[in-house]
Amino acid sequence: MNNWDRLVWNQREALLAGLQVTIEVCLISFAAAIVGGMVLCLLRMYVKPVRPIAIVLIEFFRATPILVQLLWVNYVWPELFGWPNTFFAAACTALAVQSSGYLAETFRAGIEAIPKGQREAAYSVGMSPALTFRRIVLPQVLLSSAPSIINQFTVIVKSSTLVSVITVQDLMFQSQKIVNIAYEPIEILTATAAMYIGFIFIVSMAGKLLADRLRRSYGIGSRLPT
Amino acid sequence: MSDSLREILDIGVFWEFRNILLRGLLVNFLVFFGAAAVALGVGLGAALLRVSRFRVLRAVGTVHVEIFRNAPDYVMIVWVHFVLPLLIGTLLHTRFELNPFASGVLALGLVYSGYFAETFRTGIEAVPSGHLEAGRSLGMGETLLMWRIVLPQVVRRMLPESINIFISLFKATTIVSLIAVPDLMYNVSMITQQEMRPLPLYTGAALVYFAIVLVAGSALRAVAERWRAKIT
Amino acid sequence: MIRVVDVHKRFGTLDVLKGVSFDVHRGNVLSMIGASGSGKSTLLRCINYLETPTSGDIFIDGESIGYRGDGSRPRRPRPLAEINRIRRDLGIVFQQFNLWPHMTVLGNVVEAPIRVRGMSRKEAEAIAEACLRRVRLLEKAHEYPARLSGGQQQRVAIARALAMQPKVMLFDEATSSLDPELTDEVLAVMRDLANDGTTMIVVTHEMAFARDVSDRVMFLHNGLVEEDGPAAQIFGAPKSERLRQFISKHVHA
Repeated sequence: MNNWDRLVWNQREALLAGLQVTIEVCLISFAAAIVGGMVLCLLRMYVKPVRPIAIVLIEFFRATPILVQLLWVNYVWPELFGWPNTFFAAACTALAVQSSGYLAETFRAGIEAIPKGQREAAYSVGMSPALTFRRIVLPQVLLSSAPSIINQFTVIVKSSTLVSVITVQDLMFQSQKIVNIAYEPIEILTATAAMYIGFIFIVSMAGKLLADRLRRSYGIGSRLPT
Repeated sequence: MSDSLREILDIGVFWEFRNILLRGLLVNFLVFFGAAAVALGVGLGAALLRVSRFRVLRAVGTVHVEIFRNAPDYVMIVWVHFVLPLLIGTLLHTRFELNPFASGVLALGLVYSGYFAETFRTGIEAVPSGHLEAGRSLGMGETLLMWRIVLPQVVRRMLPESINIFISLFKATTIVSLIAVPDLMYNVSMITQQEMRPLPLYTGAALVYFAIVLVAGSALRAVAERWRAKIT
Repeated sequence: MIRVVDVHKRFGTLDVLKGVSFDVHRGNVLSMIGASGSGKSTLLRCINYLETPTSGDIFIDGESIGYRGDGSRPRRPRPLAEINRIRRDLGIVFQQFNLWPHMTVLGNVVEAPIRVRGMSRKEAEAIAEACLRRVRLLEKAHEYPARLSGGQQQRVAIARALAMQPKVMLFDEATSSLDPELTDEVLAVMRDLANDGTTMIVVTHEMAFARDVSDRVMFLHNGLVEEDGPAAQIFGAPKSERLRQFISKHVHA
């Protein structure tokens, strides 16, 4: 147990600092991915002129490996667009970009799954298309995609382990730093792996419970009971 | 901006290093096939544990799935490469080493065995119990039932989901570059350091992976669709 | 009150309505019967402009739904916003209920009064409670639709339409997707509405309802009105052979 004390517990400050960076990166890119995914989805579905562009972007974001995406955003974007200007911003952008592609498709599936009658009922009481989207379609899409959105968050957390490659000092970065100083990887790497696995396990359990709950109280999810 | 654009379109660097880059891509495919074999085998084993009649075996299967499905690829690769050999060495009282390639294959194989186990299990549970009863009524034993009645159906049913897992696995093979397996990404990074021209190199790498995933993905889905249509 | 003038509807090469005209007066109940595919549901959806008629026009209190009444020739189609405004006067109840699953029963009923009519929440809730009382579901106001039976969901859908205080209520096979034991509670609510003097157009397979409640019954066949008259005459002394067959098949079935 002595090794665990020395290599893990005594390093808790560095690890906690890393954990904080991990959480920041994940939350920022998660929020950006939800907004970006919705924008991409709406462009793809409703804005005819940019539809092909939206499709190519979505497919590109989904099909490119996250490590490649990360290095590409980090090294190429600053030269192309003059941004992102920090490693932290590049990390958030890369993670957000990839997840926005997946979420765009999730949202599209959610919108397409809403029965036509839901909109007709809204039009028949005089609601405009914009109001119908905001009050009837969007809330149902967000509810029915909530489990997938949460699942996407676990993907972001998993991908975030790679941001240490561009020197963002996240949990993975700190634990590898400790390994490089102490040359004793067993305890610290095992503890780090356990932290990630435990955290992702909890998040995905929460997603499952939520999906269950949605099905029971709103009949949203697998199939509408109407 | 226009200079950058011109540089992005300049595939000269990519062409110049085509041999080493192609060799890197081959490594990606080798890692992919190795890890896929491990993932399918271990995944099937874990799925069979999860539908076992014995509670202890079911628990072992569940723990396996929850650990590996929730483990980040990179964390698992680092752990397998740096920790696992030490643990095995301590157990065997000898020096034990894994080369980076073997570590990458084993780690990715384990992670994706978690995903495959879940897909296999859902497929097994989706086989109507009537099929089993029909087999039993003809005197088939449980093992025979599993191999002749259940699994052939499972394979067909899980095909679409499996294609998604295979694609994720292929994308994940790029991560082995971080433990110095000389795949395409590793070679791109090396050349970038030497030539100081990240723009065309990283863009080219992104496009290569994009093209492979897109083409292979659509082709596999088309084949799977045709195969499924034939039997249903 | 409602005037339907020579409405045609074509889907691709399929002529679903081939020129239907009729009037409905205030407080009257008109039932539309006919085999499936006769065009009766399409006609109802055209009246509400959920389907745009290929040609023809529909007037509510003398105002055209589809075209601007400014006398210009050719007549100019109304933009969607105007159609939406006029549409509020036509409450419609669908076969599939179409309750919004993410809102409570009360939420479903107050949504349009608040967002479309611009009522205060308090005002809207007062109206909604009155409507829910009319369909005898006030005690379910805070449930979500998924917790209700089909018959209850359909009654909520009726309350939702009533809350906009429409001039006319349209019913599109409101009981067709319900189990037999649940149709009665919905029909009872519809009977109450008719007795209260609500103007109603009802597409239905329930012959007893059409016979007992309607002032007038229209029999549609192949996109045309085959026969039209008071309920007693349609069911008591049908003129066309087709109607006679239709009735004998459905009344005794």
